[in-house]
Amino acid sequence: MATSNPSREAILARIRDGLRTPSPPLPAQTFSGPIFDSVVNLLERFQQECKANLMECLLTADSAGSAQALAQVLQSLPEGEVFVQDDPALRRLMSASGSARQVRWSSQGGPAEKSQATVTLADALVAQTGSVFVSASCGGRGASVVAPCHIVYATAKQLVPDLVTALRNATADGRLDRNSYACVISGSSRTADIEKILVQGAHGPMRLVVIVEASV
Amino acid sequence: MSASSTRPTAAGESPSTLTPAQKFLRDAATKSADLVHREIIRKNMDSYDAAHMRGRARIKDWEAARRRCQEIKREAINHLDKYLLQFEQKVLERGGHVFWAATGDEACAYIKDLAVSRGVKTVVKSKSMVTEEMHLAPVLEEQGIRVWETDLGEFIVQLRNEAPYHIVTPAMHLNRQQIRDLFREKLGEDIADADPQKLVALARRKLREAFFAAEMGISGANFLVADSGAVAISTNEGNGRLSTSLPRIHVAVTGIEKVIPRLEDLGTLWPVLATSGTGQPITTYGTLAGGPRRLGEADGPEEFHVVLLDNGRSSLLANAEEREVLHCIRCGACLNICPVYRNIGGHTYNTTYPGPIGSVLTPHLRGREFQHLSYASSLCGACTSVCPVNINLHHHLLHNRRDFTSAGGAKSGERTQFKLWRMAMLHPRLFALGGWMMRRSLRLLYGMGLAGTALDPLRAWSRKRTPVPLPSQSFRSRWKKDLGRNSGGNE
Repeated sequence: MATSNPSREAILARIRDGLRTPSPPLPAQTFSGPIFDSVVNLLERFQQECKANLMECLLTADSAGSAQALAQVLQSLPEGEVFVQDDPALRRLMSASGSARQVRWSSQGGPAEKSQATVTLADALVAQTGSVFVSASCGGRGASVVAPCHIVYATAKQLVPDLVTALRNATADGRLDRNSYACVISGSSRTADIEKILVQGAHGPMRLVVIVEASV
Repeated sequence: MSASSTRPTAAGESPSTLTPAQKFLRDAATKSADLVHREIIRKNMDSYDAAHMRGRARIKDWEAARRRCQEIKREAINHLDKYLLQFEQKVLERGGHVFWAATGDEACAYIKDLAVSRGVKTVVKSKSMVTEEMHLAPVLEEQGIRVWETDLGEFIVQLRNEAPYHIVTPAMHLNRQQIRDLFREKLGEDIADADPQKLVALARRKLREAFFAAEMGISGANFLVADSGAVAISTNEGNGRLSTSLPRIHVAVTGIEKVIPRLEDLGTLWPVLATSGTGQPITTYGTLAGGPRRLGEADGPEEFHVVLLDNGRSSLLANAEEREVLHCIRCGACLNICPVYRNIGGHTYNTTYPGPIGSVLTPHLRGREFQHLSYASSLCGACTSVCPVNINLHHHLLHNRRDFTSAGGAKSGERTQFKLWRMAMLHPRLFALGGWMMRRSLRLLYGMGLAGTALDPLRAWSRKRTPVPLPSQSFRSRWKKDLGRNSGGNE
């Protein structure tokens, strides 16, 4: 049903009227160099930024190593269900990890409130900021925020140098047209609202673990 | 426990016979003499200053970053109709709704009607200054809807029935002991050692129940991305993500000026906003919400509404000289550096937007009654020096003063004083005579111990401070005898 919008035309008319007088020109200034440092070694930079963001970055050589890393992370968590994005790669990984935990797959709906961890893929990894780019296709919206631990399985090939590139790619490949949601995640949930003291695990995950596999 | 948010805000102050200007002066005097408040703010601001400078150092060319952000916002504001329509088109294509509200009341009515018609009983809100501006929570609560502020700072001030103290850190004015006491009283649990970790865990536990119970999530927006039709929300806590993921309805409420042209613009705006807001390289969650849950997605809201609020912004847009005030990205950097804000605190302004940006903006949004805020500045320019989108804040304060006095806003006494001042400046002998008389009379007055009394023309300063030492001779005579010669100048 179309939204009734009695003020829409009046607001647009006021905007157009107001813009008839042009803004004063900007003072001339030229900046020739880049705004941000260029990223040379993507993986190295990503690892550094993960550390600064209080994320855990686990490098693995192959899928067997990734399964082992996943198994170790899952073993370190309290007992309980895990939520996993329903993707063939993650079904294989979960199976190879040998985990006996109860699994709720994203094809069954969003994660339960009591999930101990969520396991998802990522659309991209951003070296400049140590970020994980996820969209709704990575297990849905709650997959990266509901549980106390979020585990991301990615490959080194998914690394992009900076945010601008990640966002430009998302526009170019129509990712936001295909998904209702996306998020650039740069660490665990946190707050400094009490005396500016950093506390992890405000509302979302206390741990963000990224398993980066070198070769796929 | 109570989550009532019928808290006073700028427009919702308890009835008072004082004008906003009188109240401002009274509260400023009280707050600047409150040593506990001063110590809390000093500690918080020191921490912010250090993080902010570290953050700026991480960006290779900070001035180029500011300029880029300025250019992005300028392009958006100077083509506001075009980008808003592009944004709207994208949202509609994805099955979302866009409502254009001329006033805060119109926006509140739309959200209230939506909530009532969908049988909403519980709302979770992530931080949004625009919803503070339009006083949304009390409107929903009048319908029996429980409204939970989910940002920790907002949750704390909601429990205290207070307005946010700061646009980024709403509970900056409280220490951990005060928060411990508040939680004991309102949540019924005692964290004896007031450990921030435990206090946060308690709030997490309580708010989690609300996140999973709520039928409607209300968020603000840091940016509206025109080419993607996405609402960009920056949060560190993840409350913005939960509010927009779990409830079956998501309503994003924001001002029309928040639109930006392209998704990739966030590649500069996000790091600059985070650096200016908290000193972080980037905020933990940069969320992009672009519509209701799509077929095949595991979760997400069934309905997505964007409320675009004008509420005086289009009038400010028509003022080409001050149009750039609409570039503001609400980082709070100008509040943090402002010597006035640091001394009088956020609540003294009695406005939704405090500090220098609030002092510039509020008279435009709320009218002449708030013109006194144009004078809540020493015009030192610190605010302008840190603004990440290069808004010339202290000049706009001067513009507002000029417009106010030109429109006959100055008191007759003030006008007379300036007439006398002008006359003296145009007649050097008269100026010298005036100076001589002032020195003599003040010396006599202070000699009689009457400094700071009603007879003292410098009472505003000296009633609470040591009187200014009186010079033995005028600047003019010192210049003639000594200063002028030493500096190689002549009179």
